[in-house]
Amino acid sequence: MQFATVLTYRTDYLLTAVLLLVQVYLLRVVWTAVYADRGVADGITVHTMIAYATLATVQYTLFSPWRFSQIPERVREGKVAMDLLRPVGFCGQMLAAQVGGTAALAPFMVLALPFALLVGGATAPPSAGAAVAYAVSLLLAYAISQLLALLVGMVAFWTVENTGIFMIYRVAAQFLSGALVPLWFMPGPLRVLAQVLPFQATAYTPTATYLGEIHGSGLAVALGVQALWVGLLTALARLVWSRAVHRVVVQGG
Amino acid sequence: MSIIRVEGLVKEFRRPRRLEGPFGGLRTLFSRQYTVNRAVDGVSFSIEPGELVGYLGPNGAGKSTTIKMLTGILVPTSGLVEVAGVTPWRDRERNAQQIGVVFGQRSQLWWDLPLRDSLRLIGKLYKVPAEMFRRNEERFTELLGLGEFLDTPVRQLSLGQRMRGDLAAAMLYEPSILYLDEPTVGLDVVAKERIREFVAELNAAAGTTVILTTHDLDDVERLCRRIVLIDHGTVLYDGDVESLKARYAPYRELVVHAGRPVEVSGVLATRYEQGRSWLRFDPARTQVADLIGAVLARYEVTDLSIVEPELEGVIRQIYAAGDRS
Amino acid sequence: MRAYRILLGAAVRAELQYRANFLINVIGGICYQGVGLAFIWAVLSQFGTIGGWSLREVAFLYAIRLTAHGLWIVPFGQLISVDEVVRQGEYDRYLVRPANPLVQLITRRIHLTASGDLLGGLLLLAIASTQAPVAWSPGAVAFLLLAVVGGAMVELSLQLAASAMTFRLLSTMSLKFGIDAVFNEVGSYPLKIFGGAARFGLTFVFPLAFVAYLPSTVLLDRTGELAVPAWLAWGSPVVGGVLLTGAYLFWSRQSRHYKSSGH
Repeated sequence: MQFATVLTYRTDYLLTAVLLLVQVYLLRVVWTAVYADRGVADGITVHTMIAYATLATVQYTLFSPWRFSQIPERVREGKVAMDLLRPVGFCGQMLAAQVGGTAALAPFMVLALPFALLVGGATAPPSAGAAVAYAVSLLLAYAISQLLALLVGMVAFWTVENTGIFMIYRVAAQFLSGALVPLWFMPGPLRVLAQVLPFQATAYTPTATYLGEIHGSGLAVALGVQALWVGLLTALARLVWSRAVHRVVVQGG
Repeated sequence: MSIIRVEGLVKEFRRPRRLEGPFGGLRTLFSRQYTVNRAVDGVSFSIEPGELVGYLGPNGAGKSTTIKMLTGILVPTSGLVEVAGVTPWRDRERNAQQIGVVFGQRSQLWWDLPLRDSLRLIGKLYKVPAEMFRRNEERFTELLGLGEFLDTPVRQLSLGQRMRGDLAAAMLYEPSILYLDEPTVGLDVVAKERIREFVAELNAAAGTTVILTTHDLDDVERLCRRIVLIDHGTVLYDGDVESLKARYAPYRELVVHAGRPVEVSGVLATRYEQGRSWLRFDPARTQVADLIGAVLARYEVTDLSIVEPELEGVIRQIYAAGDRS
Repeated sequence: MRAYRILLGAAVRAELQYRANFLINVIGGICYQGVGLAFIWAVLSQFGTIGGWSLREVAFLYAIRLTAHGLWIVPFGQLISVDEVVRQGEYDRYLVRPANPLVQLITRRIHLTASGDLLGGLLLLAIASTQAPVAWSPGAVAFLLLAVVGGAMVELSLQLAASAMTFRLLSTMSLKFGIDAVFNEVGSYPLKIFGGAARFGLTFVFPLAFVAYLPSTVLLDRTGELAVPAWLAWGSPVVGGVLLTGAYLFWSRQSRHYKSSGH
């Protein structure tokens, strides 16, 4: 259902695509300028950096982690009671809706991809192994980002007015995920913080894997960390959900 | 000297013609083909100060378009429109100062603020002198019964209350002309009567010229002495209600309850419905007394009454004729 | 103007009814605007300079842009609703009142939270001004103020022109978001890092350069690096005024095409 609604906003998509290209272009210009005459910084070449920026931006746009899910809206409009009655689990429904949204956006992203690569930059993964690992990592990353969106959406069961908090969360999440600046360039304390939080698993891990910056034993650890977060977040979601149901039932929805 | 003058008013709307076939939508965007819709096609009339005129017409007749040109919302394609010596679309702000407008479907009040605040805002916006403001606020509060909801935010008001608030707001600065666009739509009988009383009072006491657009013919019967009828962008009739009926429905009906169908001469048409005979006659040719006498002589009459033609029937007739031509 | 003050008071009073978490929303808005600066800070802490500009200089540029943005969005932010107003016929109401319809449009509501952008910008500007290598003098301060106002006028004129198209197209939301996005993303960078074609485009086609980049080159004494003559940079505030006048005339012209809704 989400798929159909979202697909009707054609100009919206055109805008998203244009914005994507602007961002990628800007990032390429910025990184090139910043590297200036340096070919390498901290072991990372400028080409790798540009490829990182391009890939990370495309991923971020596709995942759209700022579209938090319909939960807040449905709570406000009182439709939640109806949802709770449906046979398919509520969380399952919401997640399905989110995935539907991504699926609708996907074709546009595929169309925009060649342009993004043209405007930005790309390199092939250093090995077939890296490519495979990327696919796995990307899926895990997507799962984590959707679970996070669901969790944040569930906050709506406790507060109605949440624009400000969402905004702060969104910005922090974006930054700490490495979608803007890769973890290897982050200033010390920030880097430590990012490594502890799940956000980096949504952007940094897959992108770095693709570029071969994470490999070998480090790769196993990174993928393991992603899987761990998926598990943790699912458990957390279940917990929050049961509390939410309790609250809805007690309060009358 | 007329307070409103309209001559040869024309308004055309151009819409890009939708192209069929492949890429229809995209080609439409770039095409230079238009369909032209003449919503108002040469309308002329003039209104004297103090008149209370009903402006009638079926939906799509060009009614609202004319009113919008009179109020300065739309710019005419051609023709002359002059309101109290001002061309509305050219001197919009000067025109605004001398007219009051009430849209039945949309409120002019500030949605989130109490009614009282809206009135005060209007007062400031229209530079109403403090004395006039106080006087009118009191007067309208009493006449329209605003007291109970003056401090309620407008968005919480019922339709009837909001309408009354809109009327008060429109007249606060004592404009010489009042435009009412479907003011009684959706209201209950009591509320309608209240609005009508208020408007009649304004017209009688303050001499406000009132232009009333409505589909409710009771409004017209109650308030208007003159009607302008418009359809397909042209004026079909412009005169008083009596003459309208006389022109288009020059008859009355004698309704007789006599147990069996009544047949009598000197009658235009007869129909028999629900045990009553409806005898249509032309009062100019057949005297009522004669007709009644003839009926009473031949039948055992248990009930008898005389019915005037209904305005609604008359108007429907006119629209139908207009559609045919 | 008189009508503006009256209507603005009404809008503020109406908005105060909705006592949402004002402070949190303001902070949220500031965060949103500030992520760009966070990005630059992180990058420059690793790389030192960009296009020869240090962090202090870039922060200064950023502050000018942010303040200019806040300066137009607080009073004129309601332009975003012009689609709805025209389509639903709310505009009819404006035409029947003795006040400029544009004034009525921008005062229909007021988003107090947008003032966060302006406050944040001013705060950052105050801090950045002390840190940046500018030779401060009364003249320099005056130029800064003029530049910020001029920058606001540049962005406003583009948004106003886009809004004017609503009378014909009935839907300009995406266009306006697009303009806003470009200003947001690209506006805080020293444009010299872009290639020639882009620099030209961002100066003469989409006058972004006049908002913050050109004025900052003047104050930072970097006009030497410009591809355009220095006097053009000095004239940045004037460009804002010219563009705004043009945009307003365009708006007036287009408003004659207002069709009004069905009823």
